[in-house]
Amino acid sequence: MTIRYEIGIVDTRNVIKTLLDDCGFDFRDYALTSLKRRLEYIISLYALRDAEGLIAKLKNSKEFLDQFLYDITPETTEMFCDPPFWRILRDEIIPELVKSGSSKPRIWIASFDSGEELYSLSILLKELNLLNEVNIYCNVLSEHTIQRITSGRLDPKNMEVNEANYQRFNEKGKYSSYYRTEANNIIFDVSLIKDVNFIKQNTLIDENPGAPKLIIFRNQAIYYNQLLSERIFTKLANCLVAGGYLAIGVKETLENTNVSNKFTLYNEAERIYKRKNN
Amino acid sequence: MYKAVIIGGSAGSFQVITRILHALPPNYPLPVLLCLHRLKHVRSGFVEALSIKSGIQIIEPNDKEQIKPGKAYLAPANYHMYVELGNKIALSTEEPVNHSRPSIDLSFITAAQVYREKLVGIILSGANRDGAYGLKKIKDLGGLAIVQNPDECQVRTMTEASLKMTPVDFVFNTNEIIKFLQNIKV
Repeated sequence: MTIRYEIGIVDTRNVIKTLLDDCGFDFRDYALTSLKRRLEYIISLYALRDAEGLIAKLKNSKEFLDQFLYDITPETTEMFCDPPFWRILRDEIIPELVKSGSSKPRIWIASFDSGEELYSLSILLKELNLLNEVNIYCNVLSEHTIQRITSGRLDPKNMEVNEANYQRFNEKGKYSSYYRTEANNIIFDVSLIKDVNFIKQNTLIDENPGAPKLIIFRNQAIYYNQLLSERIFTKLANCLVAGGYLAIGVKETLENTNVSNKFTLYNEAERIYKRKNN
Repeated sequence: MYKAVIIGGSAGSFQVITRILHALPPNYPLPVLLCLHRLKHVRSGFVEALSIKSGIQIIEPNDKEQIKPGKAYLAPANYHMYVELGNKIALSTEEPVNHSRPSIDLSFITAAQVYREKLVGIILSGANRDGAYGLKKIKDLGGLAIVQNPDECQVRTMTEASLKMTPVDFVFNTNEIIKFLQNIKV
């Protein structure tokens, strides 16, 4: 949508204060430009007029708060985003994870995914016939996200992009076998995600599934400032098993952060890092 | 007087951009932000192609990269590129705007909010309307708005949309854009 409403810095800070004091969600160290834009989007979407309207609604309605938490998180927007990343996962990383160790490896989608990362991962595992050989955990901020994902209705904006991404991931595969079409809506096969564990998080990602071997955290820290990025990277580094993998966005980096010495760069183009033993 | 230059372009802008970058010296006193429409799934090759003749270093920045004078920052494929307070790049994967990611409007708006009257915005040849609103924001916040002469553009849609929306400061041919940028006061 086109956004024409603009919210000032003072109003932005007031919304952040309400979210913290009245709702218990800490957005203080989110990146200001994109947060401000998301607030403008929400104010426009719900015809709230201005920041005061938004603040009043946040204070008065628990249901709206959940909707807000859903809308404040940018959608992942693409299935199989960056196809080479998924190929490396399929050809190198997943086979290694299931080969080593006796218990099922844990894979944690730690970004606030709107479902696209989760379904892409699940399709990949199904094609490897390994869907039952791993435990998948997925972070969510709102109940609304869980409903969206478990209904299979991801409402992908651009089917051509998704189809093209999938073909770059697996040129022999048949993308259309993973969804059905109902009145022009795409509904994904929910059996793909039936065993997924959702972790209801706060904005600071205080919970973790314990000893994951792969953390997918692509394009999430771009919505944080430097301070929060480093705090959350530290949490991820602390729970990830030695030798495990952390994937961030292709234009993100752990260089010049406080966790850079805990990782080696496994694949530079796809920004996949491997946890050291320290 | 100025702190940054931002340039937006789409279809037909590659040669113009190449000529502009070629004319800038390595010690150019300002950062140059480039938001050019590009194929979303082709991540490499563009910086290399632009760099061949460029006088200044061209970077496809990572998120949170510090913006420095004498360098050009090219919006990466499939990301929006914002300017964040503290003179840093911020990237975003929010949905496309004007069917575009990167969107020129978003780069221009966020740069205008940070640099205000100390920003020069330039719209080049292009086939859609992305950038027109962004240029208006630059002008509204006191910055300088330049549009490439539509008669010189391979595709005139973008420049004409910008001229319709904003009383710009200058309509320049490529040579004039280059001369202006070479003599800019900082």
